[in-house]
Amino acid sequence: MLFRIMRRQFSNALAALILLGLGLLSAGPAFAHNIPVDALIQAYMKPQGHVLQVLMRMPLKSYSDADYYHHANGSVDLTRADGPLRTAAQVALFENLKVYENGRQLPFPHIVAVRMALDSDRSFATYDQALAQLKAPPLAATGDIYWDQAKLDVWFEYPIQSDQSNFSIHAAFDRLALHETTALQFISPNGVTRAYDLPGDAGLVSMDPSWINAATRFVNMGFHHILEGIDHLLFLFALIIPFRRIRPLIPVVTAFTIAHSITLIASAYGYAPDAEWFPPLIEMLIAVSIVYMALENIVVLKPRHRWVITFFFGLVHGFGFSWVLRDSLQLAGSHVLLSLLSFNVGVELGQLFMLALFVPALNLLFRYVVPYRIGSIILSAIVAHQAWHWMEDRWDALSQFPMPSITPESLISTIPWLMALVVMAAALWAVSLIAKRWGEDAPPEIPEHAAE
Amino acid sequence: MRKLIRSKNFLIGSAFAVALAGLGVAQFALQGKAEAQGVMAPKFEVDPFWPKPLPNHEVLGMSIGVWVDNNDHIWMVHRDNTVERTILQLKNHQGECCQPAPPVLAFDEAGNNIHAWGGHVDGAPYQWPESNHGIFVDYKGNVWIGGNGGPDSQILKFTQDGKFLMQIGKSGARAKAGAAADANAEGARNGFAANSNDPDNFGRVAKIFVDPKANEAYIADGYLNHRVAVLDADTGKMKRWWGAYGQNPVDDTVQPRYTADGPHDRAHENFFRNPVHCADMSVDRLVYVCDRVNDRMQVFTPEGKFVKEMYYKTATLTDGSVWDIAFSKDPQQKYIFMADGVDEHVVIIDRQTLTPIYTFGDGGNSAGEFHGVHSIAIDSKGNLFTTETYGGRRIQKFVYKGMGPVTAMDEGVAWPKS
Repeated sequence: MLFRIMRRQFSNALAALILLGLGLLSAGPAFAHNIPVDALIQAYMKPQGHVLQVLMRMPLKSYSDADYYHHANGSVDLTRADGPLRTAAQVALFENLKVYENGRQLPFPHIVAVRMALDSDRSFATYDQALAQLKAPPLAATGDIYWDQAKLDVWFEYPIQSDQSNFSIHAAFDRLALHETTALQFISPNGVTRAYDLPGDAGLVSMDPSWINAATRFVNMGFHHILEGIDHLLFLFALIIPFRRIRPLIPVVTAFTIAHSITLIASAYGYAPDAEWFPPLIEMLIAVSIVYMALENIVVLKPRHRWVITFFFGLVHGFGFSWVLRDSLQLAGSHVLLSLLSFNVGVELGQLFMLALFVPALNLLFRYVVPYRIGSIILSAIVAHQAWHWMEDRWDALSQFPMPSITPESLISTIPWLMALVVMAAALWAVSLIAKRWGEDAPPEIPEHAAE
Repeated sequence: MRKLIRSKNFLIGSAFAVALAGLGVAQFALQGKAEAQGVMAPKFEVDPFWPKPLPNHEVLGMSIGVWVDNNDHIWMVHRDNTVERTILQLKNHQGECCQPAPPVLAFDEAGNNIHAWGGHVDGAPYQWPESNHGIFVDYKGNVWIGGNGGPDSQILKFTQDGKFLMQIGKSGARAKAGAAADANAEGARNGFAANSNDPDNFGRVAKIFVDPKANEAYIADGYLNHRVAVLDADTGKMKRWWGAYGQNPVDDTVQPRYTADGPHDRAHENFFRNPVHCADMSVDRLVYVCDRVNDRMQVFTPEGKFVKEMYYKTATLTDGSVWDIAFSKDPQQKYIFMADGVDEHVVIIDRQTLTPIYTFGDGGNSAGEFHGVHSIAIDSKGNLFTTETYGGRRIQKFVYKGMGPVTAMDEGVAWPKS
């Protein structure tokens, strides 16, 4: 009996192996399909009248299934290359590109011209050169060109209602290389050119988003960014532990908001240092800000002027927020400032959402579980512990970079920031004077049962 | 009024105003100082994290060629047969580390190894060089390599995947009559004789450059011959060649030993010494030739007419000071970056005046230092790549940091400043 069971199991295993083998064999071509490590697709889109003109360049190595006619030495027979190039354009490009006019997907495009280009050709540096290249006669048939070292240039057109329509694209070229990037330039009828750097499949991208679309996208982005940023959330949590009511939180949260808006916008407009040590420095300072807040909660019973230190930490966090915008700001179209402000609004909404959770939760905790003072010390200690580890890790990352040397050039780029800091410190001081006069700079209200 | 001046708020407000004014004055003064610093030139910093480690416990031997192709992929060639015996235990089945990397390697900008091929193959339709030397990727994407081993008289052309396309010249063609047929080893180098007027074969080629406009290949020929040879890049047919000052190449004259004292001029040095180590063309179609041991670079028209020359550090003996060059990436190619593998630095040279502006680098094995900096190439962003022979045996990346003031003729190791 046992022998029969074993034999049956062996038969089943053998059958499974055979099926697996057949499966692998049938999957052979897929395994054999090689794509390059990296590829750059260059494209120009230009609506003109009732035609959307697209010029596109792709390394032919990204599509290895076209059947070229070869010479004896393996080079491409350029006199008969038109058909395979059209196939490559259709399969690799058109089938992975959806173009929309006012939300309506456009039909398959019409190919005006295809051309094989040398690896070294630079004519896609500008629209005019690319167009001239596509209007030029094909490559001389005498040169030995190997298809996987050449590029495909294609000019195709979509029929459109109007060149004033809103266009958007979904380019899913991620299968053309392990790391694919599409460098797209949209040339609007009024001559404004917008450049997009889209990695792989970047989803639906509007070429000229309306202000409402841009604002919605960036509010959404800011909201999700704060919820996904555990260090920002922990800072917020440490910040509000001493506060039991919303009113005294208002100047603190406002200071944080204004401060991070300043550095976020400055960073987006290119005023942040571009040194390699700067992002790790900011990451470490964010950890320091959490440690400081947590320790202050432990040491100081009634922290005064918290909004002042919060303002300076807000400047640091603003740089941190800006990293996420580096690759996304291209999606703002002509609404860059609005998108930045919208991102800030999203961040604020995220913060308010978290405050709405944190404040009642802390109130309940201190009322029913642990007295305020002990509870705030325990919570702050846990926060400080975690942030301390981050601080150590980030210090290690930062210390990989040598100290910047002090040169006239480095000082010249630093002084404007120092001046801005002095101006902001002066502004804070002035605000604190006003607040003192109005009696708003009171310490946080400690719950009645704090002394329990 | 007096009460106001003595108030705390007045003092704080004044302090802010004074701080702002002080910073403003400092900014103004520093701006003037920076502008007064004079000569500006391209500046670089070594990227110690480039490239990423090679796979499969692979290591490099003497690294004697580098080029950046049109897609900013960095190609290099090394001598896999020169990897130190003590680090070949994997190859020799005596340990886990290591084995030589294939001779031809390519990296992407991130430093990932994306191509690895080459080497002698039994029955192959080509003769792989005895000692690899020089690599170039032409405007069609094809890869060319030379060789400076004893019998190496050929150059090879491949696709980027290593598919053989063409061999020009035959290995062993320079063998003297009666020399041993297997005179391949280093000890048998004397069994070969130069012939810089041979239209079919070379004499230990150092480097290749293909001019896309004329589809012509310029050959630095080389370690045995004393010429620049120009070929049709498709057929390999030799079209013209020349020696120092554009004359017929001089092979037979017994060359006087190079001395630091010279004299160094046309009357006394009207010949290329071995090796003729580079022959690269600029955007204005001038051919720059590295006459390595003569410590000079000579400039020619594509037809071989002498234009001008520069001597560099003529006190440099042994292997000489002019090893390899790359042109800057500005449209005018305003600068030449020259590798000097004896003085162990890269020289930044004004291309028009052929005046050295400053150098970076030093001897050593740390990042940014050199031991036999042999070859140099540049990518589209202006980053430099160097390979080292002798004890260096590696490829390094120097990130272009824009234009900056020259602080010294010898700026030392291009260590990151930030």
